[in-house]
Amino acid sequence: MGKQEDRKTVSRRDVLKLAGTAAAFCASFGFLHGSQVGGVVQDKHIQEGKHLQARWQQAEIKWYKGSELLYSAPFPSKVLKHLQSDEAATVEIKLFRTGKLLKNLGTIESKF
Amino acid sequence: MDLDFCLDREAAFSFTCNVCGRCCAGKIIMAGPHEILGMSRVLGIGTTEFLSLYTDNGGTTLRSEVAGPCVFLTPSGCRVHPRRPLVCRLYPLGRSTDERGEERFALFPAQPECEAIVGRDGTVGSFLESQGVGPYLGWSRRYGELYRRMMGLLDRLGIEGKIDAPVAAAPAEAARAGSGSAGSGQEPDRAPLSSWQNIDASLDEYCAAKGLAVPAEIDEAIALHLRAIEDWLDDLESRLGEVRNNPKEASEL
Repeated sequence: MGKQEDRKTVSRRDVLKLAGTAAAFCASFGFLHGSQVGGVVQDKHIQEGKHLQARWQQAEIKWYKGSELLYSAPFPSKVLKHLQSDEAATVEIKLFRTGKLLKNLGTIESKF
Repeated sequence: MDLDFCLDREAAFSFTCNVCGRCCAGKIIMAGPHEILGMSRVLGIGTTEFLSLYTDNGGTTLRSEVAGPCVFLTPSGCRVHPRRPLVCRLYPLGRSTDERGEERFALFPAQPECEAIVGRDGTVGSFLESQGVGPYLGWSRRYGELYRRMMGLLDRLGIEGKIDAPVAAAPAEAARAGSGSAGSGQEPDRAPLSSWQNIDASLDEYCAAKGLAVPAEIDEAIALHLRAIEDWLDDLESRLGEVRNNPKEASEL
């Protein structure tokens, strides 16, 4: 701790705490940028329905080795827009070699 | 359900609750750290225990069964009514503020078989006053200011997609790095998203470091919690001063 402060740096721990706290405040107060819809009790069925479909804004790809998270990266924006565009939108991940399909890893559905 | 936020404080509105409890079921009830502190004190427990026993979704909502009643609803009413969260005080109204801070209110559709009476005998403003929402809106505004500072810091760090390794320290936050991901060994929705949500633990640490007495009063504890977060953000901002406009460097730190 003291060593980091001497170097005037921000540690990964700080960054994670910052992101976690912002996420917690966003969720528990309903903050969204400058606006707030925090004073709203939501019906539970909304969470599983169309309402959230329109609200999700970001998707991430995560690499794991076993249970260990190795890396995160945002979805390419084209894919993100496609998934956001329609509840029925899907994306398939397929492995090819010289144009030949080796394996279909699966389908990602945007529907909740 | 799309709510129409068409009411202001002068709009005609009245609500007479007959404590049927039907509106306390099947809802997602958000709770901020200050509300968790208040409810925990009503129950005579600490916030650590409260978060563990009574919250879901990373400590941001009160626990309840699917379509079931709120965990605090009893045959005689709400167990934490004196310190119930803002959203419960506002119900059947919802409140939204825009980026200029202008507030509007919406009326929820009536709950089936609800025994309450909705009328026009008062105003939205008088209803809010009767529910004691004033301090809760004030705290919400203060936490909102801190939230905007956090988002500003995250923007400066440019961290999106650049945290490339798990961290052994800061268990709550680190466990969330893979949001809902594999292998954390704990139930993903039960651990708080941030240690700052736990006011008792945060203030124990802050007061020990500053040589302060931990406040016994709820309002004082909330005020000190806000100050502690401000101090933390001040410190982060001062350290970030040297890497401003250099997100690559910041992300490597």
